[in-house]
Amino acid sequence: MIVAVRRSLRRALLVAGRDLTVERRQPDGLVAALTFTVTLIFVESLAVGPVEARRPVIAAALFWIALLFAAILGATRSLERELEDDALDGILLLAGGRDALFAGKTLALAATLGIVALAGGSLALVLFDLTVALPFHLVLGVALGVIALPPVVVLDTLLALRLRARALLVPILALPVLVPQLVAATQGTAAALSGDAAASLGWSGMLLAFAIAYTGIGLTIVPAAIE
Amino acid sequence: MTTTTTRPVLTLRLRPWLGSMTLAISAVALVMALVWAPPDAVQGEVARVMYVHVPSAWLAYLAFVVVFIASVAWLWTRAPWTDAVAVASAEIGVLFTGLTLVQGSIWAKPTWGVWWTWEPRLLTTAAMFVMYVGYLLARGLSTDFERRATRAAVLGVVFVVDVPIVHLSVLWLNSLHQLPTVLRAGGGPSLDDRMLATLLVSVVAGTLIYAWLLSERTALELARQARILRERL
Repeated sequence: MIVAVRRSLRRALLVAGRDLTVERRQPDGLVAALTFTVTLIFVESLAVGPVEARRPVIAAALFWIALLFAAILGATRSLERELEDDALDGILLLAGGRDALFAGKTLALAATLGIVALAGGSLALVLFDLTVALPFHLVLGVALGVIALPPVVVLDTLLALRLRARALLVPILALPVLVPQLVAATQGTAAALSGDAAASLGWSGMLLAFAIAYTGIGLTIVPAAIE
Repeated sequence: MTTTTTRPVLTLRLRPWLGSMTLAISAVALVMALVWAPPDAVQGEVARVMYVHVPSAWLAYLAFVVVFIASVAWLWTRAPWTDAVAVASAEIGVLFTGLTLVQGSIWAKPTWGVWWTWEPRLLTTAAMFVMYVGYLLARGLSTDFERRATRAAVLGVVFVVDVPIVHLSVLWLNSLHQLPTVLRAGGGPSLDDRMLATLLVSVVAGTLIYAWLLSERTALELARQARILRERL
């Protein structure tokens, strides 16, 4: 049992490592996600105005909405790259390849999203002139948010992978499922910004629960989901 | 290769009886809701919306749980009738979720003063509605029977997580929506006896409506599957 888990983990790390290596050599997915996040934060803050954008809950919401779309963009780009040179078929032929594909893509997306969150979050702090009351809670909440989004996004992207309308379908499928994660991440970040430690930890716990639940669902169901 | 069969199952023979029984109990529920049950002490006559709103919400939950069970059954057995049940139940679930939102709005205007507001139960229900519209959309985008059924089954399993979230959202977040009245922790139903009886009969009537619609729609889907198989051959 332990050997099998260790083997699956190693396969997942191989897929994630391969993804991150490709991203390091040709960082088009990361650059696209970063540019998109920064642009969206600018546009959203312009739309709500300077006074509203400084409110912790509004600033947190703008940041997480931008990050959510960046996650969808990153996952779609990453899996489209697999289709371009038929690399996907190679992975699927391997024993345990489907689980490894889901877990590896989820890990790689979380790592990419971590970088985007760091850059986008720093920008949001400066742009909105925010004061962080609880820095540790903020980092914890953002880190858990970053691992709570990818399982759902990767699962939905894998499902829609062979469809022509995937650009339309992935947001339609993923966004409603991610509403609780979005609420938890926004409220947790806002609580960390405004100094409510108990609320921040509570929301972070919910994000962790969602991350575990959807990773479990993904690993259980993904062998059936990939065509 | 999947073989599509239309076995004459027991539910198909029960369909005419189910329809008659549904109509009879729905008529009883209607009389109880409009005449027999007393008006609410605070909200007055407007509270009678409850007798359609609560059953609609219950049917939405039930329908999506049935989608989940049928989806697991498809992934397990690849029996086409499970996919037929899943699509039938999803369509009914979307219908009743939509009705729940509309009835809720009609109830909210005189009691809360607005048709729609930022409220966890409303928002999670709306998210659930969009989610299953997406489920039906995803089904429509693929022509291959097995791929479509498998893709839909995976979504049916993933999406069911939203059902407890919708129900428990009023407990987890600050909510304008009232807390559970019948199935509540730490006590029995907090309703007048006649109102409770009317609500329960309405829920039974609603469940029968669901069973009736499910059997009719499943029969249609099985016929459609059989036609596709004939065209394949």
